[in-house]
Amino acid sequence: MIDLSTVTLGSTTDPYNKAAERGWQITDASQITAPIELEADVVIVGTGAGGGTAAETLSQAGLSVVLLEAGPLKTSSQFDMQERSAYRDLYQEGTGRGTKDGGMVILQGRSVGGSTTVNWTTSFRTPPETLKFWGEHMGVSSCSVEEMAPYFEHMEKRLNIHKWPQAPNNNNMMLQRAAEKLGYPWATIRRNVRGCLNLGYCGLGCPVDAKQSMLVTTIPGALDNKAKLIHHARAVRVLREGDVVKGVEAEALTPNVRGTTGQTITVRATRTILAGGAINTPAVLLRSDAPDPHGRIGKRTFLHPTTLAMGIYEESIDPFYGAPQSIYSDHFQWQNVDTGPVGFKLEVPPLQPAFAAGFYAAAGEEITQSMDKLNHTQCMIALMRDGFHEDSQGGAVEIDDKGQPIVDYPINDYLLEGVRRAFNVMLEMQFATGAKSARPAHKQARHYVSWKEAKAAVAELDVAAHKSTIGSAHVMGGCPMGDDPKRSVANSDGKFHHLDNLYIMDGSLFPTSIGANPQLSIYGLVYKLSSNLLTQFKA
Amino acid sequence: MQTDRRDFLKLSMVGAAALSTMSGGATLSGCTSSGPASGMKLLRPEDVELLRALTPAVMKGKIAPGDTASIDQTLQSFDQLMVDLSEPVVAGVLQAFDVLSFAPTRGLTTGQWSAWSKASLQDAESALARLRDSSIGLLNAIYAAAIRLIISAWYLIPENAATTGYPGPPKKVASVAPAPAPAEEAAP
Repeated sequence: MIDLSTVTLGSTTDPYNKAAERGWQITDASQITAPIELEADVVIVGTGAGGGTAAETLSQAGLSVVLLEAGPLKTSSQFDMQERSAYRDLYQEGTGRGTKDGGMVILQGRSVGGSTTVNWTTSFRTPPETLKFWGEHMGVSSCSVEEMAPYFEHMEKRLNIHKWPQAPNNNNMMLQRAAEKLGYPWATIRRNVRGCLNLGYCGLGCPVDAKQSMLVTTIPGALDNKAKLIHHARAVRVLREGDVVKGVEAEALTPNVRGTTGQTITVRATRTILAGGAINTPAVLLRSDAPDPHGRIGKRTFLHPTTLAMGIYEESIDPFYGAPQSIYSDHFQWQNVDTGPVGFKLEVPPLQPAFAAGFYAAAGEEITQSMDKLNHTQCMIALMRDGFHEDSQGGAVEIDDKGQPIVDYPINDYLLEGVRRAFNVMLEMQFATGAKSARPAHKQARHYVSWKEAKAAVAELDVAAHKSTIGSAHVMGGCPMGDDPKRSVANSDGKFHHLDNLYIMDGSLFPTSIGANPQLSIYGLVYKLSSNLLTQFKA
Repeated sequence: MQTDRRDFLKLSMVGAAALSTMSGGATLSGCTSSGPASGMKLLRPEDVELLRALTPAVMKGKIAPGDTASIDQTLQSFDQLMVDLSEPVVAGVLQAFDVLSFAPTRGLTTGQWSAWSKASLQDAESALARLRDSSIGLLNAIYAAAIRLIISAWYLIPENAATTGYPGPPKKVASVAPAPAPAEEAAP
C-alpha cells in the first residue's frame, strides 16, 4: 500500500514562470478587445506533437513563426493532479468527445502542448511493419526504417526518450508476469521523461515538468527563438488567393474555451502548417472548402479502438500511482500485417478513480463493489491496429452545420471479433496471475471468479458495438500522405496536394494507424517534414 | 443468417430514428422545458427528476433511495460536469435525456410508464437493464452515457474517491522544489 497524499511537491520547474524575463511573446486571445493581425514566415495551427516540433525546427533556423492554439495555456504551476480540473482544462470537450453514434469515447488533449501535455509518455518509433506497409501499399516515399532513423534519433535525444529504468508499478508488473507465465514476449517501454518522480499523474498534467512534453521542450525552445504563441485562438479556415494559401483566420475563445468572444486573429504567412491533430486538421480543411477532387479529406481516420478487462487481486495494486505505462506485449500484434484478424497491442492504463469508474461502464453493485477494491485492481487494455486489412478502412471526420468536427466511426464485425478475442486474452492473463475475479469491458458482463467461468461467459456475450466498452486515446489519419492524389490528401513532404504553401504536420498524415502509441511517430515524421520545408526557404 | 442480421440492423435503425423523431417532438411541443432547474446551471427540471430516480440505482450500495443529501450532492457534481463538457456533447446528453423523460418514449424504452418521481429503486433498475439489454444500439449508447456521467459525477467528489482505497494525489505547494531525479536515470 503506497500513500502519496502525504507527499508535498513544488512547481519551481515551471518554465512559464520566467516568460517575461525570457522575452517570450505569449498572447491570451480570450483577453483581446481588438482584432489581431500578424505577418510571419510560418503560421502553425496547433501546439501538440506536430506543431511543437515544427515550431522549434523552423524558428531555430531564424524563420518568424506564429503558433495558434485553441486550448488554454495551463502549466505545471496549475497542475494540481485533480481529475476534475484536468479533464475540464486539458482535454477536448472535457473528455466528452466521442464518435458520432456514441460507440467510442475519444481522449484527446486540448491545451498548449496538445495531447503531449496529458499523454502517458509511452514512446515507440513507428514499427517497421507499418513503415513497410506505407511504402508498399500506401504510396508513401522515403519512409523506410533507415530513412526515418535519424529523425527519430534526433527527437529521442531532444525529449530524453529512454527505457524506463525503475521497477514497473504493480499494474504493469501483472502484465509482465502474465506474459512470462503464458510465454508471450514482453518488453519495457521507453518514456520521454527527465527527473521523473514515478508519481503516476502524466494524464492530469505533469506537476513537476518531468514529462518532456511539447509544453516544456519545443514550445519554450520556439519562444526563445522569438516565435509568438497565441492561445485561446481557434483556427477557423485558411486564407486563400486562388490556389495559394496565404495564412489562417482564427477566432478568439472565451476563458473557459467553450465559446467565442467575437474577436478575430488573422495571420498572413508565406507557409501555413496545419497541426491541430487528426480531428481538427481535416475539420479546418473542410471549413475552408479546400479542393478535394477525390473526396479524401477526413477519410481513413483511425483510432486504435481499445477495449479492456479489470482484474481484482488479493495483493495491493494501487493502479493510480506510478509510471502509468512501463511494460507492453506485442504478442498478438504482428502475427499478420494486412491479412487475417485484427492485431492488438497489450498495455495498461493508470486508474485514478473517476477515470476508472468511467472505464468500468457498469451500474449498481457491479460497479460500486468493484470500485471499493480499486486499490487491488489491475487493468489490461488491448489497442487494435486499424487500417491495414481491407475490412478496416477506419472512420471519417465530418463537420456539422456549425463547423464543429464529428468523427463517424462505426465499429464493424471485423473489429468486434478482435474485441472478443482480446477479452479472452486479457482475462486469461489476469487469472494466470492470481486474480480473484475479472471482468471484460462489456455492459452485460460481471466479475467472473475463474478463467473457466470467464471463458464460458465471453463465448455467450453479445459482443455488439454499444454493448462492449471501446474507447480511443490515439486519433490518426484523415489527411493521409502519399504520392497518388487519388488516394491521399498530402504528398510525402506533407504538402497539401491541391493548394500551394499549405502543409500538414501531425498524426492526420498517417495512412493507417501506427500499431503503437503514436507520439514518437509524429515527432519523427514532423521533424523530417519541417527540416525538408526549411530547404525551401534556403533555396 | 447474414440476411437476418442485416434486416435486424435495418429495423434497429428505423427504431432509433423513430425514437429521436418522437423525442424531438417532445421539445417542439413544449413537453420539455428549456431552462435549467433552480440551483442548476444546465440540468433542466425533468433531467433532475430523471436523475433523482436513476442515481440510487446506478450507485446502489453507495446511495440509498431516500438519501436526498447524497443524491443532491451527486446532481450538483453532475451539473458541474456538464458545464465542463462541450456544447455539442451537452446537446447530445440533453437529447438522450429527452428520450428518457418524454412520456411515450420513456414508457417504450424503459418500461417506466408513470413519472420518474413515482419510480421505485426496482423500477429504476429495471429501466436501466432494459436500456442496457436493448437490441437498439442508440439505447445502449444512452445507457452508457447516462451511467458514465452519474458514476463520474459521484467519484469526482474527493471523499467518494477515497472509498476506493485511493489516498489522493500528492499536495502541491508552489514554493517547494521537487526532489532530485533518481541517479540512474539518464538518456542512453
